[in-house]
Amino acid sequence: LLTRTPFPPQSQAIVIYTGWERHALVGSDVRLSCSFFSWRWTSEDVTFSWSYRPDGSRDSISIFHYTGGAPYVDNKGPFRDRLEFIGNPSRRDGSILIKNVDYNDNGTFTCDAKNPPDIVGRPSSVRLLVFDKLPVQAGVITGAIIGAVLGLLVLIVVIYYLMRFLVARRVFNLSVSKHGKKGKGKEGSQPRQVSLRPTCRYTVACFKTLKHNTPQLNL
Amino acid sequence: MLVLLALIFLLHIATITLLLAATINNGWWVTDTMSTDVWARWVYQNNAWNYTSLPTSYPQDYLQTVQAFTVLACIFSILGLFVFVAQLFTLKKGQRFTFSGIFQFIACLCIMIAASIYTDIFHKNEQGSYGPSFILAWISFALSFISSVVYFVLRKKTA
Repeated sequence: LLTRTPFPPQSQAIVIYTGWERHALVGSDVRLSCSFFSWRWTSEDVTFSWSYRPDGSRDSISIFHYTGGAPYVDNKGPFRDRLEFIGNPSRRDGSILIKNVDYNDNGTFTCDAKNPPDIVGRPSSVRLLVFDKLPVQAGVITGAIIGAVLGLLVLIVVIYYLMRFLVARRVFNLSVSKHGKKGKGKEGSQPRQVSLRPTCRYTVACFKTLKHNTPQLNL
Repeated sequence: MLVLLALIFLLHIATITLLLAATINNGWWVTDTMSTDVWARWVYQNNAWNYTSLPTSYPQDYLQTVQAFTVLACIFSILGLFVFVAQLFTLKKGQRFTFSGIFQFIACLCIMIAASIYTDIFHKNEQGSYGPSFILAWISFALSFISSVVYFVLRKKTA
């Protein structure tokens, strides 16, 4: 008879993901997301823990805990009545929502998640920055100006070659006509007039002209 | 004739080089312990040069405009070089290098806009002096202007 001894469930490292920084306007709501990666299936005993350390302080306080299938939000600390759990633990999402942020909420929020037996991991932190006016992200205006100018250049080149193509296909008529000037008896001045006008008025006729003037293959 | 061609080519290359140096090197404004703009700031602390980001007190829209136009000047000048080489082979005899001239002229306008905005907006009433990149930016403005005029005037050699 062969007996098998059950292997003890081995703990492997859990990896926790939050953002790096969150920028928010005073008075707005900000979502702090927390997720984790684990080799194990999401256990029923999964826990999420959020703690807060104000800017310039060394102590951190616990503001949120999810365990045994139920969330427990802060009801005494700086975030009482402002914290809401919007995550989905079965989908490994432990995000919280902080409503009506103020300058006092500037600080570091740390998320710690545990997925038994995966309990060895490093908590991840996200920094909250509260602004009265959202600053322009670095490079947004730069990229916009460069993109607009280069796009304009490409557009001009495309239109130029398109017009040349259409003139060659006789969809447009590029005519150079000379006028003589009346009166004063002068013959020297003959201003040239270059005009570009379509040879066909209606779209269907234009397509037929295009088709007629495109070289056809004869078999 | 070949000498003239080589000189014009060299002028264009010099313009591109100076534009790139002005854009990439963070040296538009210098003091004893600092070399700054337009991308980052070098600060001399603890006997070493540290790479730090620009202060947030900078007017972001003007700063990013200067960044955009210096980059655009480089792009147009480099494109102009390729256009010049292409036109060398495709132009009919007696015609002018207008396209190359247009590209160099746009590059000239771009670097002029960038340098003017920088001169007018940043570092007013501050201690320090304008650095090498700033000087190169204005020199490349002059060079690109001369280069574009040369292209507008030059004709392809008639046999």
